[in-house]
Amino acid sequence: MNEPVNQTPKLRQGRPLVALVGNPNTGKSTLFNRLTGLRQHIANYPGITVEKKSGLLRLGSMDVDLLDLPGCYSLTAVSNDERVVMDVLGGRRGLQKPDLLVFVLDATNLKRNLLLVSQCAELGIPALIALNQCDAAKRNGIRIHVDLLAQRLGVPVVETIATRGNGLEDLKKAIVSALDAPSVLPKIHWPECITHGCGLLRAGLQSAGSGELSQAEALRVLFDSDSVFTCGVSDKTCVRKLLDTAHKEIRESGLNPGSAEAVIHYRHLESLLDGVVEASGPIARSHDSIDALLLNRVWGTLIFLGVMYVVFQSLYSWAGPLMDLIDAGTSGAQDFIRPFLTTTPALQSLLCDGIIAGVGGVLIFLPQILILFFFIALLEDTGYMARAAFLVDKLFSWCGLNGRSFVPLLSSYACAIPGVMATRTLSDPKARLTTILMAPFMSCSARLPVYILLIGTFIEPLYGPMVAGAVLFAMHFVGLAMALPLAWVLNRFFLKIKPQPFILEMPDYRVPTLRNIFHRMWERGREFVLRAGTVILAFSILIWSLLYFPRNPEVEKKATESFVAKAAANHSPEEIQSALANPESELATALTHQIDSAYIEQSYLGRFGKAVQPVFAPAGFDWKITVGVLSSFPAREVIIATMGIIYNLGADVDEGSDDLRAVLQKEKWPSGPHAGEPVYTLPVVLGIMVFFALCMQCGATVAIIARELNWRWAALSFFVMTTLAWLSAVLIYQVDRLFFFQ
Amino acid sequence: MKRTLDSLPVGSSARIEEILSDCDRANRMATLGFIPGRKVKVTRFAPLGDPISVEVEGQEISLRRAEARIIQVHQIAE
Repeated sequence: MNEPVNQTPKLRQGRPLVALVGNPNTGKSTLFNRLTGLRQHIANYPGITVEKKSGLLRLGSMDVDLLDLPGCYSLTAVSNDERVVMDVLGGRRGLQKPDLLVFVLDATNLKRNLLLVSQCAELGIPALIALNQCDAAKRNGIRIHVDLLAQRLGVPVVETIATRGNGLEDLKKAIVSALDAPSVLPKIHWPECITHGCGLLRAGLQSAGSGELSQAEALRVLFDSDSVFTCGVSDKTCVRKLLDTAHKEIRESGLNPGSAEAVIHYRHLESLLDGVVEASGPIARSHDSIDALLLNRVWGTLIFLGVMYVVFQSLYSWAGPLMDLIDAGTSGAQDFIRPFLTTTPALQSLLCDGIIAGVGGVLIFLPQILILFFFIALLEDTGYMARAAFLVDKLFSWCGLNGRSFVPLLSSYACAIPGVMATRTLSDPKARLTTILMAPFMSCSARLPVYILLIGTFIEPLYGPMVAGAVLFAMHFVGLAMALPLAWVLNRFFLKIKPQPFILEMPDYRVPTLRNIFHRMWERGREFVLRAGTVILAFSILIWSLLYFPRNPEVEKKATESFVAKAAANHSPEEIQSALANPESELATALTHQIDSAYIEQSYLGRFGKAVQPVFAPAGFDWKITVGVLSSFPAREVIIATMGIIYNLGADVDEGSDDLRAVLQKEKWPSGPHAGEPVYTLPVVLGIMVFFALCMQCGATVAIIARELNWRWAALSFFVMTTLAWLSAVLIYQVDRLFFFQ
Repeated sequence: MKRTLDSLPVGSSARIEEILSDCDRANRMATLGFIPGRKVKVTRFAPLGDPISVEVEGQEISLRRAEARIIQVHQIAE
C-alpha cells in the first residue's frame, strides 16, 4: 500500500485551505456536502488508501478550498485515517497545511468531541467550532451556553444542524471573518514531566535523524510510539530507549503514561465545560429501547437476517431488470452501428464487439453499485451498521476480519465489484485488506450460468434434481470455505500490519436524509465509472483484439471450403449455392458459426489456448475447455458464448440451450490416450465448476482491487486465486483417476 | 473486588482502575473514554458472546473481550 497515487491537481495558489475536522458520526460529511454541493473532488492521499475529499466553497467575496478530513476520535496515528489527519494538520509529506480548521462537534457528546479539539490546539492553527446536531442535543435535554463556550475556547462557535442545512450562512460568515482575523485555541498546560519528556524526545530524535519535531509532534511520539514521526528514524531501539526514559519520568510523577494524555485533557475539559453544558436531569437516550430489540439475541438476529436478506435480494434480483436494460441498450447500439461499417469489418468489430461491448460491460455494474450504496448509506446514516457489525463480529474475528466485513462479503455474492468498493466502511486497514482479498472468492452471480449449464447437462440427468440442487447449493460455499481459512493464514503468517482493536461507538439512531443517501450513490457511481471503468474498458478492448487478430482471410476461405465439401454429401451444389446466398438460411447460419469457430481457433487467444492446453491436461481439460477458460479471464460469464462459438453454435447460446447441452454430452476426445472417450466426465465437470468457483476470472475485479489497494495486491490476488483454482481442478481429476479409474 | 472488564456480567457496573497494556493501546482506550476513575456499565453481550457492549460517560461502546481484558476494574454496586 505504498504506491504513490496522488491525483489531486495542484490547488490554486493563494486560495485559502479550510479543513473540516471531527469525530466519526458528527455529521461532518453532511456539512461538507451542504457547503460544497457537487463541486467536489475525490482522490487518494499519496501512498495511502484514504479518500481525500476536497471541494470548492464559495463565500461570496472569496472562494476557499474545503477539505473533509477523515473522522477520528483522537490524533493517535494508529489507523490510516488518523495518520492522514496528522499529516495534513502538520503539513507533512508535501500536503498543504490548512489555514483554518473548522471543528465539527456533536453537541450531544461535547466532552468527548472536544478531546480532539484539545489535542489539535497544540498545533496552533486558527480554528472555529461548528456545534452540530444542536436539535438532537435539545431533544436530549442538553443545554449549551454557546457564548460562554466560545469565550472559554477563544474561538468562534456556530450552531448548525447539517442535515437540515440550518446555520450554514452563519458558518460561512464565520469562516470569512476567521480567515480575516484568525484566532487560535489556547494550549493546554502540561505538567513538568511531560514537557520535559517532549524536550528529551525532540533532542534525541533529531540527532537520530527524524528531522525537527514540533512540540505537538513530540507529544504524539511520547504517547504513541508507533507514531509516523518516528518514520525517519531507522534505529528503533533508540526511539524505544528515549521513550522508556521519558515514560519513567512520567511514572515517577505519579501518572500512567498510557492514560496520562487523556486524563490531563479531560481534566482540562471538565473545568472548561463547567457551567457551559447543562443537562436537565439524566440524559434521555433514544436508542436504549430500540437497542433492546435490535441487539436482542433472538429478535436482533432475526431482524439482522431480514435486513441482510433485503439487501442481498435487491442486489441479486432487483438489479436484474436495470442490468437487462443496459444489456439491451448495448446490443441496440451495436446493431445500430454495425450496418454503417460493413465495408471495414475490423473497425466494425472493434467498435461493436470491443468498445461498445466494453462500455456496456462497465455500465452493467452500475445498478448493483448504486443499489448497494443506497443501502450502505441508509444503514450507516440510521446507525444500524454499527449494530450489525456488533452482532456478527464473532463470525469473522477468528480469521482477522471483523463485523464490518459482513456487508462487503455478502454483496460479493451478487458481484465482487460493489463488494470491494463497500470495504471503504472498514477503517481497520488490515481487516479491510483481508476483506478485499476474500471478496472475489464469494460465488458471484456471473458464476451461476456455468454451474447451471454443467449441472443441468451432466449431473441432473444422471442423479436427478435433488442432487443437482444440492450440488448447486454446495458450489456457493466452495469459495467461502476456501476464503476464510486463507484469511486466517494470511493474517497469521503474512500480513505484518499491526492489528487494531475493534472498538465501535454505537451512534444514536437517526432519521436519514435522502439528500445524503443520493449523494453517496452519486459519488460512488461516478467514481466507479471514471476510475475503474476506464481500466475495465481497456481490458475488454485488449481481450477483443486477442480474440479477433490475426484476421487471416485464408481461415475463412478454408472453413468455407471444408463446410461446402461436407455439405455436398447431403445437398446438390445448386442447393448449397442458393442456400448460402440467403443469409437467413440454416446452411448459411451454420457456415457463419463454422467461420467464427475457425477464427477463434486461429486467434492469438485460441493459439495460446492450444499452446497451454498441456497445463490444463492434468485437470482433464481439452483445448476447447482451455480456450473457454482462458477467454473467460476478463469476465467469467463469457464462457457460455465462447463455448457456443467453439462448438459451432454461434455466440447466442445461453446456459439453458439444449443444443449446447447435447453437444457437450456428445463431445469425445478425437485422439490421444483417451481417444473416443467422452471429454466431459464427472471429475472434469466438477473440476471446471470448482475452477470457476475459485479463479479470479474477472478483469473488473482485478481493476477495482488495483484501485482500492494497488496493482501489486491485484496481481497477487489474481495469481493466488488462479493457482488455487488450477490445483483444485487437477486434484479432483487426479484423485478420481487414482482411486476410481475403472 | 479487582477484575477485568470482560469478566463482568451483563448489567453490572464498575469503576475503571487501570489499563493493563502497553502505552499505545492504553492511550487509545483512554482517548475513547476508558479513563481510570470513570464508571463503566456492561449493557449487553453480542448474540455469540463476543463482542460486549458497555456504557461509559453516557456513550455506548462495543469492544471485543480481548480488548476488555486489558481494562482493570473494581466492581461497584448500582
